[in-house]
Amino acid sequence: MPSMTEAVPLPWVLTLAGALFCVGLFGALSRRNTVGILLGIELMLNAVNINLIAFWRYLEPNVVAGQTFALFVITVAAAEAAVGLAMIIAIYRARQTVNADEVDSLRG
Amino acid sequence: MGQYQSPCLVLCMNTLITVLFLIFAALILTSAIMTVTVKNIVHAALWLISSFFGVGALYLLMEAEFLGVAQVLIYVGAVSILILFAIMLTRDLEGSQNRQLTPRWWIALIVPAALFGLLIVPTVMTHAWQLPPPPPAGQPPAISGAQQIGTAFMREYFLPFQVAAILLTVAMIGAIVIAFEERERRRRVLTLVEQVRLRQRQQQRQQPAPRPEPAATAVQTSEATGGET
Amino acid sequence: MTDILRSWIGGALPDWLIVLIAYLLVTTIVLFYAVGNFIMMVWAERRVVARMQDRLGPNRVGPAGLLQPIADAVKMFTKEDIVPRNADRWVHLLAPIVALAPVAMMLAVIPWGRGWEPVDLNVALLYMVAVSAVSGVGLMMAGWGSNNKFALLGAMRAVAQLVSYEIPAVTALLTVVILAGGMSLLELPYMQAGVPIMGATILCGDPAGCSPLLYSTITSFPGSPNEPVQALDLGLGWWVFTPVGFLGFLVFFIAALAEGERTPFDIPEADSEIVAGYMTEYSGMKFATFYIAQYILNFALSALAATAFLGGWQGPGVAALANMGGPWVHVAAALSAFYLLAKIWILFFVMIWLRGAFPRLRVDQLMDFAWKLLLPLALVNIVSASLMVGLTQWTSAQWGGLISLDGFAPWQRQLIAVLVTAIINIAAAYWILAINQRPKQVEWDEEELIAAS
Repeated sequence: MPSMTEAVPLPWVLTLAGALFCVGLFGALSRRNTVGILLGIELMLNAVNINLIAFWRYLEPNVVAGQTFALFVITVAAAEAAVGLAMIIAIYRARQTVNADEVDSLRG
Repeated sequence: MGQYQSPCLVLCMNTLITVLFLIFAALILTSAIMTVTVKNIVHAALWLISSFFGVGALYLLMEAEFLGVAQVLIYVGAVSILILFAIMLTRDLEGSQNRQLTPRWWIALIVPAALFGLLIVPTVMTHAWQLPPPPPAGQPPAISGAQQIGTAFMREYFLPFQVAAILLTVAMIGAIVIAFEERERRRRVLTLVEQVRLRQRQQQRQQPAPRPEPAATAVQTSEATGGET
Repeated sequence: MTDILRSWIGGALPDWLIVLIAYLLVTTIVLFYAVGNFIMMVWAERRVVARMQDRLGPNRVGPAGLLQPIADAVKMFTKEDIVPRNADRWVHLLAPIVALAPVAMMLAVIPWGRGWEPVDLNVALLYMVAVSAVSGVGLMMAGWGSNNKFALLGAMRAVAQLVSYEIPAVTALLTVVILAGGMSLLELPYMQAGVPIMGATILCGDPAGCSPLLYSTITSFPGSPNEPVQALDLGLGWWVFTPVGFLGFLVFFIAALAEGERTPFDIPEADSEIVAGYMTEYSGMKFATFYIAQYILNFALSALAATAFLGGWQGPGVAALANMGGPWVHVAAALSAFYLLAKIWILFFVMIWLRGAFPRLRVDQLMDFAWKLLLPLALVNIVSASLMVGLTQWTSAQWGGLISLDGFAPWQRQLIAVLVTAIINIAAAYWILAINQRPKQVEWDEEELIAAS
């Protein structure tokens, strides 16, 4: 069976992942809503995972390291989403807002 | 496939895979751009889900079946549901029409664009990747699948695996502790038994007890036994 | 399927087209099969519940009301499609599709009969779980897009229930993964050959004297070094007959009830509280799509429960027919498909029965049930499953010399494993049930109660 390694060159996949990372970065930097920032971070983590899987598939298909790393990234992303969203809910309850600009009581 | 293997099959399949890759790439990027630009935060979350799907499909295309399915299970089935829940719990209807972007969003645009255009593309395109030689024809390439991942988690990645488990437990407890509402602030809902017991005590004392409103009592009673209706 | 098409069409068409047509045909057949079952399920549910409630049920259209679903479908098609003015149009439109599509995708990996497997995915079990979780997004979209408080409440209830009952369901399925040594659904029915409780461990002593009607070649556990053996095979070595499989089946089936939103777990669409949950603002075909999605989800979950614990297509006579070779293989396939369908329908009947018998749970009861009863049972069951595999398959070297069972015959090891796991499971079930039934020592803080009421 022909596989993706023959049909699609590696730089294409890496460029896709890079573009996704940059889009996520833009989202994380530009959103005012804290949930929106979290969405951008999730996109960036996904871009990293695409890279890990691409390197695993193209360079070392018989070593599991790439896949296990991607799984750890997914685990950390899930934990991060849970804690982050819990914090957003707590902030909303205390301040009645989810805007990152308005939660600035630590500013000197 | 066996004897039916024709030269067209390989060529057609290669074209097919390329086309599929381009479709998935377009899906991922369009959804991602919509995620960061649309005004409505719920729409942004839904676009994010579509982007997750594209990434999962890409994993399947790269023959990482376990990862592709895990992506759908964890990101689409859990993380995005969590995000949607959080959005709906923190929703203020009037605020959703506000500007979603910070006033200086164009600075935020320049940084990633420069990163992409000046750093990522030149590096990726000019680096000489040392690709392993393709496997001999007629022999499937050695790809590590779900079984190898499981073995790896139990052997060489055992410690990271345990650390990930502890991380998840800590995150779960932390999320509950952070998001848990104070006890006093929650309205206590009496069960039917408690209501009856309370009323008995009040009658025993023969006090002019502050009787609850009859209508409210009826509603509460029917809620408590709601299953039988 | 591809091979049949090749033999019919031969070289007239290019090969890739034949492969494509084969895939499309299989997809069409499976979808029609599911929808046909959906139609019959609606009719059966209405009739059976009516009988349990001492009513007649639909009995006018066609013989015994059999054509009633068709009439309902016509009515659904011709109804006006109403979209609330303040609804989010696109989300409202896409929600039923997002709810139905993943459920239909679940059907792709189920082995419907011996040799009738649409797709062989080596992570099929995980795929089923993952894909069924996606339909939660569709429910959320429906609740949010309708711009209706009842719909949003219903959707949040539905998704919370779906997510929390996924945990016991997955944990119960893990026992199957441990027993099978893999996540492929394809091999599960083959592994559940043999006789009740003992499985495929009663071996044939003399290869020449064993009738192929009673004995068949069984490939043993994937991780074990044993060669394929001739074992007594009545097609009844279902895992539900072992203590591990029985507990796993119970937990999974209850969790599946909750995932499919069947009564007693129909809180999301409790019509006496929140109208119809997330479906409140839907009419006509969109409503019908949700309806179909729900029944096909029940159908797919029943098929998964049947395949994972009740032997799938495995049943008496299948192996014997298949061993006769020639055209009998196709008869065996048809018989096996009938067995699977019968098991699915029995499970569905139990669902209807529960609907007729039990009142709806409250939300706190629902959560208590999942976290305090089902999940601990499933976790204990995982320990039992590991012991089961260890006692029946491992050599003393794998045990690290702790236990040596190498001298025992397979049936003796199976018997030991069944006894050990039975003791563990019964003790654990008794203990967990006792903890849950212990009456709570509630402090009657009167001031608090008065303040609350």
